[in-house]
Amino acid sequence: MMTFAPLLLVFLPLVAAGVSFALPERLSAWRNAANLGVAFTKLLVVAYLLNATEAGLVFEWRYEFLPGHDFVLRLDRLALLFVTLSVFLWLLTTIYAIAYFDRGPNLPRFFGFFNLCVLAATGVAMSGTAITFFLFYELLTLATWPLVAHKGDDKSLRAGRIYLSYTLAGSVAFLAGILWLQSLVGAIEFAAPPDLTGIPALTLTLIFILCIGGLGVKAAIFPLHGWLPEAMAAPAPVSALLHAVAVVKAGAFAIVRMIYDVYGIGTVAELGLGVPLAALASVTILYGSVRALMQSDLKKRLAYSTVSQVSYIILGASLIGPYAVIGGLVHLVHQGIMKITLFMCAGALANRMGIKAIADLDGAGRLMPVTMAAFSVGALGMIGLPPVAGFISKWYLGIGALQSDAAWVVAVLAGSSLLNAAYFLPLLYRAWLLPPPPDRPAIRELATTRDRMLILPAAVTALVALGAGIFASLPFSPLGWATLIAEGGYLR
Amino acid sequence: MTADLTLLLPLTVLWPMLLAGLALLPGWGPRMVMFLPLGPLPALAAALFAPRDTPVALPGVLLDGGLELTATGAIFLGGAAVLWFWAGVYAADYLRRDSRPAAFALFWNLVLAGNLGVVIAADIVSFYVFFAQVSLLAYPLVIHDRKPASMRAGTVYLVLAVLGEVAILVGLMLASHGAGGAIGIEAVRAALALPSTHPAALGLLIAGFGIKAGLMPLHVWLPVAHPAAPVPASAVLSGAIVKAGIFGMVALLPLGTPAAVAGNLLTILGFSGLFLAALLAVGQAGAKSVLAYSTVSQMGLVMGVLGVALAAGSAPATVLPAVALFALHHGLAKGALFLGVGLAPLCGRGWRWGLMAVLAVLGLSLVGMPLLAGALVKSAMKDPAGALGATLIGLSALTTALAMARYLAVLPTAKPRRRPPLLMALPFLALAGAALWLPWLLYADVTGKSPLAADLASKLAEAWPLGLAVLLIAGAVAVGLKPPTLPEGDALGPVQRRAAALTAAARAALRAGSRSLHRSRPKPQIVIGEDLDRIEDIFREGAAAAILVLAITGAVVAASLI
Repeated sequence: MMTFAPLLLVFLPLVAAGVSFALPERLSAWRNAANLGVAFTKLLVVAYLLNATEAGLVFEWRYEFLPGHDFVLRLDRLALLFVTLSVFLWLLTTIYAIAYFDRGPNLPRFFGFFNLCVLAATGVAMSGTAITFFLFYELLTLATWPLVAHKGDDKSLRAGRIYLSYTLAGSVAFLAGILWLQSLVGAIEFAAPPDLTGIPALTLTLIFILCIGGLGVKAAIFPLHGWLPEAMAAPAPVSALLHAVAVVKAGAFAIVRMIYDVYGIGTVAELGLGVPLAALASVTILYGSVRALMQSDLKKRLAYSTVSQVSYIILGASLIGPYAVIGGLVHLVHQGIMKITLFMCAGALANRMGIKAIADLDGAGRLMPVTMAAFSVGALGMIGLPPVAGFISKWYLGIGALQSDAAWVVAVLAGSSLLNAAYFLPLLYRAWLLPPPPDRPAIRELATTRDRMLILPAAVTALVALGAGIFASLPFSPLGWATLIAEGGYLR
Repeated sequence: MTADLTLLLPLTVLWPMLLAGLALLPGWGPRMVMFLPLGPLPALAAALFAPRDTPVALPGVLLDGGLELTATGAIFLGGAAVLWFWAGVYAADYLRRDSRPAAFALFWNLVLAGNLGVVIAADIVSFYVFFAQVSLLAYPLVIHDRKPASMRAGTVYLVLAVLGEVAILVGLMLASHGAGGAIGIEAVRAALALPSTHPAALGLLIAGFGIKAGLMPLHVWLPVAHPAAPVPASAVLSGAIVKAGIFGMVALLPLGTPAAVAGNLLTILGFSGLFLAALLAVGQAGAKSVLAYSTVSQMGLVMGVLGVALAAGSAPATVLPAVALFALHHGLAKGALFLGVGLAPLCGRGWRWGLMAVLAVLGLSLVGMPLLAGALVKSAMKDPAGALGATLIGLSALTTALAMARYLAVLPTAKPRRRPPLLMALPFLALAGAALWLPWLLYADVTGKSPLAADLASKLAEAWPLGLAVLLIAGAVAVGLKPPTLPEGDALGPVQRRAAALTAAARAALRAGSRSLHRSRPKPQIVIGEDLDRIEDIFREGAAAAILVLAITGAVVAASLI
């Protein structure tokens, strides 16, 4: 198990992908069973891994695929944070996707790429070297493209094209940076950060900018965020995934890896790169929020909200203080849980009642109370109101900023909270307090066609978001795990 | 045995939460209104029996939070529990034919849990969580009847509540950082006195708590929101929930170390609120609005005294017992006065005179009529208030008396032949009794002095502002003088109109500006969002090239800087 556990996490989704591609649509029940079975098995594997890794074990699998370049899958605590998040949310999204699509067209293709996507995301998390990381990162880009363009209409194809042009350009920049660095220090392994002494500061700065610029595309840092709102043309389960776990998080996760495990926080601080990156993240936070406020389409508002929220993670990583590290890492999980809740709810609203514009939300709370309750929890969490998990992230980021003598960040956090309140509270107001328009399906009618599997995943993630806030200091809570990671080596 | 009794603290907040959870169950929800009085019972038991200053750790909850009951907290807790209990009895009857009983029961219990939790939180994170709960979840109570005026009041309430939350959050972060990351209330309070702590911390906390407690000029939500809620909810809003803000100051103001700027500011705002709000109360047309302004006025008194103590560096022990006692009396009396507004239409014939008599006694007690409980708590407040403060408190009897007279004058008229239902009359009488009796009972224990220490003659001599008020009122009634009618929320109307005008002007300016930017392609309705959309679109079309260019430019810029 020691060496094969990482391999198993990659192999299992490959099986599910193969089954999904191979089975014809009339055997959809088998396909669903395979998808759910694999997702559930992975959750069990992760549960085992969590226990083992907490005790200090590190799982690693290594294979020399090029002379001098190892293909390394390594499960340290940071990797497991991301793996756990993706595996858990993937199970729920699978359940949700099955209910959402029911019997749509091209589902074998969808679920096939869906599994390749999870494979790539776990691969990104577990990569032990920069080259391994790049391979999975590119696989993620390519596997996500058919999902974004799934509907096949002009809008989706355009979104897919934009998505590819952004991410591929980003990859080129990132690859250039990595290769440059490798030419100076040899193969980069995250477990043993390269020795950067002796390299001119200018070179290091340039490489850093190339890498962060490249990775910043997926992480949707301003002004590289343009693909994200466009990608809203994708079906709801894909949006949920893109935003909460896969693409955006892979970018943010990669930046965290760059700062902690390639450069090391000491070097980043010496080069003076932390503050500019924090400033850029702050600009993104505020810009995303302001843009979210201007949207009249529900999914677009959520998309810009993602732009804003993901930069909290980058802010935490770039501030370089013990609490900020924890705050950034824990927000990786918290944002994922809360945002997936919001997107699954938005999808359910669109699916059941055709709600797409914010103006259509009137009375949604009365017609779909469980969905809107889950949505409300997610929204309050995004604002940072306790006891939802977002509050914990904000607290740690705020204290962390003060520890790093960056009091201005607290003002950014406060401003972001107010902006979040300004664009989320009116949604809740409409949904709960305004009467539904007369042409909406009556409650009774909705009740007879209720699809529990469409609502259950969002309800679960909403409860988890509450639990992660209320029981934040339990050992296996996101905060507990983030603290463990930080204490394991990222604290000065 | 004591070990068992400490469990009353978690139960104090968990029990109302459980009741709230039951209100969510279909079928149970509407019936939960009948069980509203049950919510504060564990809190009452805790106030009476739970050991003082014994922290209860709640491992795993929030950031390893905890609960603790201080001696001051016990008075706040007990007062809140009594008020919530009787208001709950009243509500059970009042809301019998309500159209949304389940929602009322849900939020009533949630707000109750938050209100009680604020008083017993041992760390600032738990405190903040409970504070947000009492503050934000009271919104559904304010807008319960869904009338347009209530909805407007609710919006004002929510906006200021969110602003207050953010101010408190940032203040607590700064203070906690000053305490080296500690979150215990005592540690944070001590840190607020340190010169190394960011000076904005104290100001933000005062502003945040001030919003909740109606510190002028942050009070504007209060006179519109309190009257909008159903009568029992108004009673707890004005009696208990504003005390969450006061308690925040009681718990966190660094008393004992002189803080001149913050203290003097609080003194000035507090005491000006004491007089201004009472005068504004006189101009109100609705009985509930009069009471709401009177709350602003009385809380101004408390905050003024806290400000004096903060500026002078008085030890907490010399101030907090008096503040607790004053808050207890005000909460119970104000609760009873609000319930009286609901009772007034139901008291026909002789009942009306009985009601008016009780209300008048309560009013006189608030004014500070000698021998009534209010005079007792006011005299306790005069010690820490300093010489000037004591004089101002004495003078405030005049304005308070005018406000109370106004309240009695605008009380709703009775429908003939109505008899008040027992379940609404009983809570009223019980609260009035408690307000008049509990300060006497607790005075010696809390302040360490006998309630009958000062001689009656000097007390009567100090009551001249009351006498003057009586003369003024009598004169006004005799010549038929009527006070001007002022809008609820005084400054709010002009501010809202000004804000609307500003927004419109800004929008027009933006439109003109963006039109001049796009003169080649004139488009009538360009707003900033569309401009940003267009910029993002241009970027998107050439994304690949643009990103590479950006990365390279970034690198070059960085290179040129180094």
